Amino acid sequence: METVGTETPAQRATRLEYEYQGVLDAMVDALFIIDARGTIELVNQAGERLFDYREEELIDKNFSMLVSEPYSVGQDTLEQSLQSGEPHIIGAGREVRARRRDGSNFAVDLSIGLIRGSDPQRFVGFMRDITDRQNAEDKVRQLQDRLTHFGRISTMGEMAAGIAHEINQPLTAIATYAQACQRMLADPSAALTPDLLQGLERIESQALRAGEVIRRLRSFVRNREVRREPIDPNRLLDDLLMLAQTDTRHHSIRIRLEQGAGLPLVQADAVQIQQVILNLVRNGIDAMSELPHDRRELHLRTRLDEHGDVEFMVSDLGPGLSEAAQQELFNPFFTTKPAGTGLGLAISLSIVRAHGGKVWYRPGDKGGACFLFSLPPVTA
Amino acid sequence: MKATQGTRPTIFIVDDDSAVRDALKFLMRSVGHPVETFASAQEFLNGYSDDRAGCLVLDIRMPGMSGLELQQKLVEQRAIVPIIFITGHGDVPMAVEAMQAGAVDFIQKPFRDQDLLDRINQALEKDVANRAALGELNAIRERLVSLTPREREVMDLVVQGKANKVIAGDLNLSQRTVEIHRAHVMEKMNAASLAHLVRMVLEVGELK
Repeated sequence: METVGTETPAQRATRLEYEYQGVLDAMVDALFIIDARGTIELVNQAGERLFDYREEELIDKNFSMLVSEPYSVGQDTLEQSLQSGEPHIIGAGREVRARRRDGSNFAVDLSIGLIRGSDPQRFVGFMRDITDRQNAEDKVRQLQDRLTHFGRISTMGEMAAGIAHEINQPLTAIATYAQACQRMLADPSAALTPDLLQGLERIESQALRAGEVIRRLRSFVRNREVRREPIDPNRLLDDLLMLAQTDTRHHSIRIRLEQGAGLPLVQADAVQIQQVILNLVRNGIDAMSELPHDRRELHLRTRLDEHGDVEFMVSDLGPGLSEAAQQELFNPFFTTKPAGTGLGLAISLSIVRAHGGKVWYRPGDKGGACFLFSLPPVTA
Repeated sequence: MKATQGTRPTIFIVDDDSAVRDALKFLMRSVGHPVETFASAQEFLNGYSDDRAGCLVLDIRMPGMSGLELQQKLVEQRAIVPIIFITGHGDVPMAVEAMQAGAVDFIQKPFRDQDLLDRINQALEKDVANRAALGELNAIRERLVSLTPREREVMDLVVQGKANKVIAGDLNLSQRTVEIHRAHVMEKMNAASLAHLVRMVLEVGELK
């Protein structure tokens, strides 16, 4: 080619056309040019490869043949959006199921923009195969769930002494009643039927009590799908109380429960939120391990905050956290406990964040540590 | 023949778990022991007085005042009620502390009824012995109080091992007078011998 200075308009037009085609063919993403009704006017090589068609086979066909589900932006179908000609609505990348020649479908990231100055109006669409990205995201989510599950198992491990105690109590009662009944039966002359019946009834109810403790533990610790539902925050706290008391009773800790009135429902996975609260309870128990028995109190509170979110608080009367510790608090693997994993708060943070909430720390009014988290209310 | 209900020793049970508490009460009734239960250490302190014979079966782990803390309080109040601690697994260090502070014994949950009843019997025997000893001391004190001031002076010198002649000189009395006082002291104190008198005075801590 000769230098620019000596180019004729016709030569320039040809050069630009070659360069333009070169750009189209070098692109990694699929590119389409369509009219306002979605009729395909141009496809680049990447598009041919992605969908396994030659350009000629796609020209004059409708764009919607390449899309597996009716593609919609808000309430409008693609056709309607294009006809309304509002490119800013359809410009952003959206995840869509696309369909290949052989009918198989796959995930793509789709962006459509108006070609400015085109008359009649034409649009350019970009598509990128995001199968790999989705697989990676799925993998991350799986690992996240696994980690969260692990967090529950870990918490349960820390509660082991309290759990053993909680089951041992009904067992002790059962053994004692049973032995007492045998003594009573040893004297055939004594008219002890009412007493014996009472003993047996008590044995039954204690066995059921132990069974209930186990049921709740298993329910809490099992590996399960995340399931978000509208939940009453106070109900959630009530359900959790038995498990929490398994831990607190064993360490002679009093729970002060303050439940706000008229709280809105929150969209949440109950087990995960209970996991967060239990983790905070666990930390509070550890913080107060050096206090005399009658001074150990954990304050659990729910209330509506200024933003209309539901605020949960767990505060203890322990020594509180140093400035340095406060900085690192939510970092994974940071722990002040000799045998701690340092993951509890990090997991709690990720759970609350995934629910659209916030977690934060502040020093308690009477010394001690105060952990709070908020969850947004269910939107009507 | 057993005395009336009021003078039979009572088993006092303190445990915050209502099922365990009730089961223990049931067991006591099955063997005919008078029993009283309390849901907390404080409840027990409010409802108990030291003149009641019996023993205490106490859970070592309770919210609020723990079993060990109650034991401490009772020691401070110089209460003599013998204590059997109920412990759970892993409570060994606490059990050791309890024994060092004077508990009769401890037993782990869940326990065999006979094991608990054996320990209760042991504790009740200890209670009987304690009260007898306490009764003895009180009797000695009463006898001391019944001495006249002069008799008391003479007794103090007698138990120091001084001869009547020396005592007479110290107190500016005739030897005959000292002998009379001495005889009265032995009689009032119910002492069988000088050694016996010295032992009694030692026991109530009045040896000068």
